[in-house]
Order: sequence, then C-alpha cells, then structure tokens
Amino acid sequence: MNNNNCTEVDEYLESLWYINEKGQGAVSDICEHTVGGLSEDTHGGLSEEVIEKLVSDNLVEIDDSSKIIGLTPKGLERARHIVRAHRLAERLLYDVMGKNIEDGACEFEHIVTMELVDSICTLLGHPKECPHGLPIPSGKCCELSAKSVNSSVIHLDELDIGKYARIAYVNCPNDQLIHRLNGLSIRPGVTVKLHQSYPTFVIECEGMHIALDNELAENICVWRESEFAYDPKTPEIAVKRRFPFLRKRRK
Amino acid sequence: MGLLDEKTAPRLKDKERKVLILGLPNSGKTQIYNNLTGTYNLVANYHHTTIDVNRAYYEHGGVLYELYDMPGLYCLFANSEEELLVRNLIFSEEPDVLLFCLDANLLKQSLMLGIELMELGIPMVIALNAIDETSKKGIWIDTAMLSSTLGVPVVESIAIRGIGTRKLKSSIERAKAPKASIYYGDMIEAGLANVIHDLPEDFPFKRKTAMLLLLNDRFLEKDLIEAFGENQYAEIQKNLSGITSQFVGSIGKIVYYKRSEWVDQLSDKIVKTQDFDQRSMAKTFAQMSRNVVTGIPIFCMIILITYLLVVNVANEISTLMESYLWKPVMDKLSSMVPSQFWREFLLGSHGLLSLGLGGAILTVLPILSVFFVVFNVLEDMGYVPNLTVLTRRLFAKVGLSGYSIMPIVLGFGCKTMATFTTRTINSDKEKYIAIFLIAFALPCAPQIGLSMGMLGKVGFKAFLIVFSVLLITEITAGVLLNILMRDDTKNTYLQALPAIRIPNVFAVLKKTYYRLYMFLKEALPIFLLSAVFLFTLEKIGFLKIAKVFLAPLINNFLGLPNEMVDVLILVLARREAAAAVIMDFVNKGRLDFNQAIVSVTLTTMFVPCFANLGAMIKEIGLRRALTMAFFITASSLVIAGALNKVLLFFNHV
Repeated sequence: MNNNNCTEVDEYLESLWYINEKGQGAVSDICEHTVGGLSEDTHGGLSEEVIEKLVSDNLVEIDDSSKIIGLTPKGLERARHIVRAHRLAERLLYDVMGKNIEDGACEFEHIVTMELVDSICTLLGHPKECPHGLPIPSGKCCELSAKSVNSSVIHLDELDIGKYARIAYVNCPNDQLIHRLNGLSIRPGVTVKLHQSYPTFVIECEGMHIALDNELAENICVWRESEFAYDPKTPEIAVKRRFPFLRKRRK
Repeated sequence: MGLLDEKTAPRLKDKERKVLILGLPNSGKTQIYNNLTGTYNLVANYHHTTIDVNRAYYEHGGVLYELYDMPGLYCLFANSEEELLVRNLIFSEEPDVLLFCLDANLLKQSLMLGIELMELGIPMVIALNAIDETSKKGIWIDTAMLSSTLGVPVVESIAIRGIGTRKLKSSIERAKAPKASIYYGDMIEAGLANVIHDLPEDFPFKRKTAMLLLLNDRFLEKDLIEAFGENQYAEIQKNLSGITSQFVGSIGKIVYYKRSEWVDQLSDKIVKTQDFDQRSMAKTFAQMSRNVVTGIPIFCMIILITYLLVVNVANEISTLMESYLWKPVMDKLSSMVPSQFWREFLLGSHGLLSLGLGGAILTVLPILSVFFVVFNVLEDMGYVPNLTVLTRRLFAKVGLSGYSIMPIVLGFGCKTMATFTTRTINSDKEKYIAIFLIAFALPCAPQIGLSMGMLGKVGFKAFLIVFSVLLITEITAGVLLNILMRDDTKNTYLQALPAIRIPNVFAVLKKTYYRLYMFLKEALPIFLLSAVFLFTLEKIGFLKIAKVFLAPLINNFLGLPNEMVDVLILVLARREAAAAVIMDFVNKGRLDFNQAIVSVTLTTMFVPCFANLGAMIKEIGLRRALTMAFFITASSLVIAGALNKVLLFFNHV
C-alpha cells in the first residue's frame, strides 16, 4: 500500500470541493478535472480506482442513474479541512513569507494537523479569503474569534492527570529508543491518557498501560487540549458523574 | 515432551513441519503452546515469563509439527539479547509456519510487529487471542476482513480457556504466505535494493537484513562477519554509509511512519469501537495499586493476608496431617522395625523418613501449597509488575534506572528465572548489580512462604525484623555497588504493564498443582539423599567433629545451637530442606526468638541455590559467579552475626 494513495484521495476530495463550490458534478467531470492536476501516474484507469476507494471509505456517494458524484458528510468534513489548510497555507506563505503562491502549499495541506491549522488561522487573524480570492472555510477558532494562539505543544509531564492528549512528536534521546517506543505504539498522532505522575509516570496508549520515567515524559510532546480545536481522533470523553446517585435524586 | 517424544518423532520425520510461535510479550504464546502440545509450561500475566525457547511435537493430519515457544518481542530490531535470540532463531531455523499470537487488546502494537513478521514472507497463521476481553470492552474486530486483507488464516482464540485450539491446528495446515507489504518510498526502496545487491546470493531474508542494516542494528555485525568475512563486510558497511548519508532525516522515523500508517489504516478498517468506556473493577484496582497513597497500604495488606494464610492455614494442615496421617503410620512402622540401627536410619533425627520424607511432605508441602495459591493468584492478576511503578525511585537510588527493575521484581518469584531475565538489560553495570541483588538478600517465592511459616511460630514481630533486615541489606548492597561501579550511562525506564485480570480459578489451581509437582519431583530426592548423607556423616563421627570445630562461629558469633551445622549443610543441598529442619527446631523449642530470626536471615542469604548459581554462571561467567557466591556467603555470615549481637544488645536493654 502506497502513501501516494492517501494524498491522491485528498486531492480528489479537494477537487470535489472545488466542483461543489461551482455546483454539482458528474463522475466524468471529476475525472476530467483532476487528470491535469495530479501527478503522472494517476491517469486513466487509476482515477476510477480512487473513486472506488472514496466510495468504500464512505467519503463520496454516486447517484447511479444520474452519475452525479457528491460528498458525504464525512467526505465534506475532510475536504473542508484540506481546503482550509491549503488556503490558509497560501495566505501564510504569500502574506507572511512573501513566497510564490502554490509553492509548497500543496504538500502543506497533507501534513498539518487540525490544531496547527487553527493556530495559523488565529495567527493570521482569521482570514476570509485565500490570495486567489476564494473563500477559506471557517474553523472553530473563527467562530470563537480567538485572539491569541493558546493551542500548542506541551510536554507530557505538564499535562494534567486524567487528561487525554495527542502525541505531536517525541524527542528521541537515542536511536535505540525509537524502536522500543514504536513497539509500544508511542508515536505521533496517537492519543494517550496520563494516569499518574508520581512516583512514576503511567500512561495509557492504545489500550496498553506503560510506565516511564520523568526524563522520557519530558521528551514526549503532546498537543494541548485547546478550547476551540476539535480533534476527530480524540475519543469523546464521557463526563464522569462523581456521585450519580445524587444527580438522580435531584431529578 | 508433548504428545510425542523424541523417540517416536523420527517415524514421521519425512512429514515434519516447523512452527514458531511469535508475538508481543504477555500475549499468551505459552498458553497456546500448552494447548496445542498438551504440555504444561508456566504461564503468568506478565512479561518475560518465557525466557528460553521451549520445543515440543504434536501430530495433526498425519503430519508432525515441531512447535517452538519463544520469548516475546516488540520488533525484529534487537534491543536485547533475548530479542536477538528470537530473531536468530527465525533466521536460522527456516520455519515452515509462523504462528503469530496477536493480542486483541493490543491490536495496533501487535500489528506493528505483525507487519515486520509478514515482510519475511514465511507462511503465517494468526491466533487472535483474548478476544473475550475485547468484546467485553466494546471492541469488535472483523476477523474475516483481517484474514482477507492479510491473506492468512486468522483464528479467534481464548487461549486461557483452550478455545480455538482445534481450529488453530487445522489452520496451521492451511498457512499461507501473507500478501501484505509496505512500500517505503522511492529512496528507501532504492537503498534497500542497493544493500540487497551487496549481500551474497544465498543469504536468507535479504530484504529484512538490508532493512535492519539501514536501521543500524548493532547485533548484525557479528553474524555478517561470520557469514562472509571481514573484507566483504567492510565493503557492505562502506556502501551502507554512502546510502545512509543521502538521507537528511532519520530512516528509522520514516520507516516507522510508513508502518504505523499501514497499521492505522488496517485497524480503522477492521475495528469498530463503542465510545462507552466501562469502568471495570480490575482497572480501578490497577490504578489504586500504582498510586502511592493507596498502593502502599494495598501492598502491606497483601503481605499481611499472605502471612496470616500461610501461618494459620498451613500450620493447621500440617498439624492435622501429622496427627492423623503421619504419627499412626510412623508408630506402626517403628514397632515393626526391630533393629536399632534401621530404626535410627528411618526414623532418627537424621532419618530417611523423619527428616527426608517428613520434612518435605509434612513441613514444607503445606506451606508451599498455601503460599503458591496466593502467589499464583497475584501472578495471574498481573499485580507484581505494577510494583515497579511504586518502587522505581527507590531502584534508581541503587543504580538501577532502566531495564533491571523488572528482573528484580520477578526475583520474588524465582531467582533463577529472574537471573535469566537480566538478558533484557543492555547495560553491563546494571546487569551485574541486578544479578548480585537477585542472588543476595532477595527471598524467592518459596523462601518467602517458608520464612513466614518459620517465623510465624515465634511471632509477627520476628517476621517484620527479618524482612526489614533483608531490605536494608539489599539497599545497602545496591548503593555500595552503585558507587563502586562508576558508569554513567543512563538507561531509560520504559515498561509496559500487564492489564490486571481477574484470575481464573482453574488456571490458578493447575499452576499450583504444577509447581508443587515440580517441587516434589526436584526436591524430594534431594531431601531423601541429604537425610542419608547427614546420617552417614553422623555415623562416621564427622558431624561431631564439625560441631566442635565450628562451635566458635555458630555458638559464639551467631548465638545458635550446635545442631545448626546440619542446617548449614542442608542449605547447600536445598533451601527447603534446611527450612524443614529449622521449623522442626522451632517446634521443639530448641530455637528461641532471637535464634529463629538469626537462622532465617542467615539461610535466606546463604549460598545461592544450585539453579540460581547455574543461571549466574551462564549469564556472567564462572569466575565472576563464584566470586559473587563467595562474597554473598561471607557477608551473610557477617550480617547474621551482627544481627545476633544487635538483638542481644536490645534484650539486655
């Protein structure tokens, strides 16, 4: 399985979003639209394959009779994120760094996380349009019109006990450790829960409880659970009722 | 040795297939091995229960299967000798089938190892184990989808209850080479092709070897030089550094990024999860046992409960056995044997039956039975490794920062096993300290049980004194060794903790039975032989001379009665035999409070048992092991002597 596949899917979703902005599209439409924009190895038959994958992943729906292709709510959400990242990146590169538009923005949209996008959005003052004049889909940060960037990376030892956080990166003190950490699935993108910090750090990671020392905990960097960033990967944390019987009685 | 032993095996030799069981630590490999082969090997709910390779045969459909049970591993990149052992075995044994034991609770971690194993291209069968626990947690795994995606048979299994065994046997017949593979990107693939080109034609698992070389595996060097000489290896290395210098970032990170992406995609496809997170009792208990505020009281409670059970229940059993079973038989026997010599040989103070058989069955067996039940419950719960969380800071003070904590904690189970587990330590200093501390004042499970039994007769205070002395001794030794062996390489402490499980009654009883059976099988002959040996020594007058000769040491310095010479001789043979004699002395009132404390402390530390010594020799070599043993014996005498003086001093005050 090739990584290009994931990027390809993203590109198709992005294209569908563009078509959506103009109006509804047909299958033939999107094939035409995308062939030019994609790398060489994705012509012809392959595009069909990607569309099949999109359907199987429940990202798009194809109406059998009219051949009209549309994004599902899930696909819409993902496309929205990609487009938002892309256009914000353009803004960032164009406004702040004075670079050529499109240079690098394409890769950028596949790499950045939701939190980072929101941070950039806030940093840029919630821009409404990309340098091409196309609308930038608004994020949660815009709704809350956040003024300062407070969603950022913190060290695991700064996290509150009982809280979930997603690993951003791990500063690996030595090469050997990469293998051990990966074996235990401590890697970027994984959600961990901090159980305790004294006398030893204990985290829960993909269903496994792991004890680690302070030094390592300092080296694991996680996304702070921000007020406005919505993270699809963090499981919904049920609000624990401390004394359920008290609540019941009040009813 | 399994359903078929080595002798009947050759009959089917032409139809023999080699199956290797692989998986993460604590994923249930040994349980599956036991189920398939019908043997019993010790299983427990923690990592490193299996530290050596077990082998057994079973027959299915006219084909003879040679099954290998292996220690667990996280990846093929070797971090320790133990993992290296597994990897070398895979590479050298050319197995026909890999039986991958996949812990359903740890699906992603397991798949991370799984993809590495699948890259080897060996036919594979997956046992999806502990499926009962995941379904309780609201996790649903699409077994059919997993099977069709990977192209290998997947069997749902609940190994601890033996479910899935039959299906597994028939699936092993149908094992297929997995069709999953990862494309690591143009640059790494080109690098791999380049390294593969350098490796000799007939080298097995070239792609994997090339990958490990790219990841800078330090254990490969020796093998490669051995396989095709210094010169060619130097050339490979030169080429390799050329390739790796082209990369800006870390190859390891890219490789793991690709693998984790593959794992995430697969697991998204096959796993459905309910958001509802059940608060289970086991989970709450796990958290409480790790927390300082609740964990320490829990630990103390466990010790106290064990003590009370061992002292009261075991002594009760022992007394009942003595009065209703032993005494009538012995009385009868005594009247039947006319000759004075033979009566003494069988029933005297060093009699074959009274000391040998009686010691083993009347004194030691009841204590061990009760203690093992408690201990096995704790073991199957997975409680013991959770102690590492509480004790880590203490261990750091004695120079044990990383891998060595687990082996030492395991030393409370069996010192020999724990000594072998030090293979997972990759710092020489830590390994040395750990082996020393395990061999020194650390009481192993039978020792704890027997000490409780012995000291229970003189009071709980005695128990507290002995265990405090042992703890202080152990910490002092650790601190001293840490200062003496200056070496500042710091190891990272990173330890996966087993999930707390509610133990299965049947499994606990089976394990207790097995442990007692092993005890009787191993120790009973030694009990009997040492009784005969002591009897002979007494008859030829050696004991009398030894008692006179050792009187200054035993009477004056240690404050113990002369008869303790017997005990010291017995300790050399088998600790439990010595314990039986001490217990007998306490019962007969020949040892007072102080003397009981001193003798238990002494026998706990005295010469390491043979098995432990063997393990030490294997791990650090004959010379160092013997030096250690000598030092341990000498200091145990000094400490016991000092303890005697201190106790006497307090008696006078």
